[in-house]
Formats: sequence, C-alpha cells, structure tokens
Amino acid sequence: MSRVVVALVAVLAACSVSSDVSREIGARCDDQDECDDRCLTGARFPDGMCSRSCDDNSDCPDGASCANLAGGSCLYACTADPGCKFLGDGWQCVAEAERGGDPDSTVMVCAAPP
Amino acid sequence: MVALLVCAGPARADEPVASSQELGAALGVEAGGRTSPGGFHLLADYLYQLSDQDWFDSGLSITIGGGAAGCFRDRDDDFRCDEGIARGFAAEGFAGVRRFFPGQGVFAPYARAALGARLVSFRGDDVTGFALPVQLGGGIRARVASGIAVIGGSELRIGVGWFDREVGTEPQIGFAVHAGVEFAL
Repeated sequence: MSRVVVALVAVLAACSVSSDVSREIGARCDDQDECDDRCLTGARFPDGMCSRSCDDNSDCPDGASCANLAGGSCLYACTADPGCKFLGDGWQCVAEAERGGDPDSTVMVCAAPP
Repeated sequence: MVALLVCAGPARADEPVASSQELGAALGVEAGGRTSPGGFHLLADYLYQLSDQDWFDSGLSITIGGGAAGCFRDRDDDFRCDEGIARGFAAEGFAGVRRFFPGQGVFAPYARAALGARLVSFRGDDVTGFALPVQLGGGIRARVASGIAVIGGSELRIGVGWFDREVGTEPQIGFAVHAGVEFAL
C-alpha cells in the first residue's frame, strides 16, 4: 500500500508544471498581482520579472542572489550570459552590488545591463 | 470510528451489506496539483444494490482547498498554472459501481469505479472550468451495528478538464482518502 501511495505522489509531482520560472521568481509580469511578492519592471528587467524582496542572500530561493537593485531583489545567479538566455532577449549575466554583504561585494545575476 | 470498529461484535463474513439501499457520508482529503483541485474532501453517496456483489454508487462531493494564486506567465508569455497539492474548489456529481469481495468478520473489502462531472474553480487566479474524471478506488467497509457500517477508502481521479482564461484543456489527476459512515434505508 505504501508503495502505491509513493507511486501516486510521484505521478502527481510529475504532473506539476515543469518550468524554470514561477510566481515567486522569473515569471513574466506587468504588475504585482501576477507575482507572489513583487514585479520588477523597467529597462533592467525586459518584459518584467517576478521577484522577491530581500535584505541578503538568505532571503532568496536556491539559485538566486540578493542584488542591490530596486531596494534589494532576488535575481537569478549566473556565471555567464548563456545562463540567462532562458529569460529572453536583453538578459545578460552582470555584476551588481550585493545587498546585505560587504560594501564592495558583488553578485553575478541576470539582468539587463545598465 | 475506531471505537465503533473496536466495539463491533463478530458478524458473519457473508453480510458486507445491510440493506438494498443505503446513504453514506464521508470526510477526507484530496491531493491535486497543477489544475486539479485538492483540499478537504466531503462526500455524500447513495447506494442501491444491484446484485449480491455489486451496488450502484452515486452521489455528490465537494473539495475545498486554499485560495492562493498559482498561475503565471512564463517567459514565452504562455499562461500556466501550478496550483499545488491543496488549492481550489470542486463540486462533483458521480455515478458508478461498487463491488464487494468476500471479507473476514465484519470487514468487507470493495473496489469501485465511477464517472464524475465536476465544476472546478481557483478563485485566487479567477480560473474556472469543467472536468470529467474517472474515479478508480477501493476500501474496506465494516458493519458495526444493525444498519450501520463504517468505511475507509481511497480513490484516484484521472480525467480531463476545460478551463477559461488562457488555461484551456488540462489533464486532471488527484488522489483522495476518506472515512465515513453508511446507513441502511
């Protein structure tokens, strides 16, 4: 019986939406209602992107870093431009000041260049 | 319910049922996901005996889950929903067959299959739809007194749903467990 339950849970999990983005971070947006927390818009965030406010990296989900943009925002961490390609045109891997870190520390995150 | 089972006296193995018509009520939980609703699951059913083994099983059920939003636009601007395991609301009517198998003492296992029609709503996203799930499941029924039985069972729902906004046609899958009481009429 337990095997059946485990198998069913696995099936349910497999049926969940498989996506790189979510309402928490990454989804396209025009306003806050489309996101769990906030919608980042403007030239630095082409097509808009759902994100979470943060004071340091511990506030961000796995795979995201807290950049000192828009008052502290979780953005996808990256090492090079191809890592940001899934977000669409205009997104690149850029160095931004880290929110909540040392004054000179930076994080590599996906955003449009300034 | 446990007390009822413990206190139940010995009964003949050949009496899984008590009457040719019965009414039942049960409470449980349903796990959904994506655009399948989940949450607390309440059902009421009517049973009519067709043969020694088979009963016509029909009724109504509702599933009540959380109301948080779960839909979003992906980077290709496609509208997608991931409502999680326990969100949404569903009201369902169903009809099918329950087959009892030889049991032991007061206990009688059963299997059931039914077709449902359900209205589904996710108010956090203002998404509503209509779904046609097939229910496949089973459980155990124990007669605890004259004309009264308790049941514990589970069922898998598999089907298809049609939703408004930009969601469109979606697969439906859910798993429910419940326990309840049935009374002879």
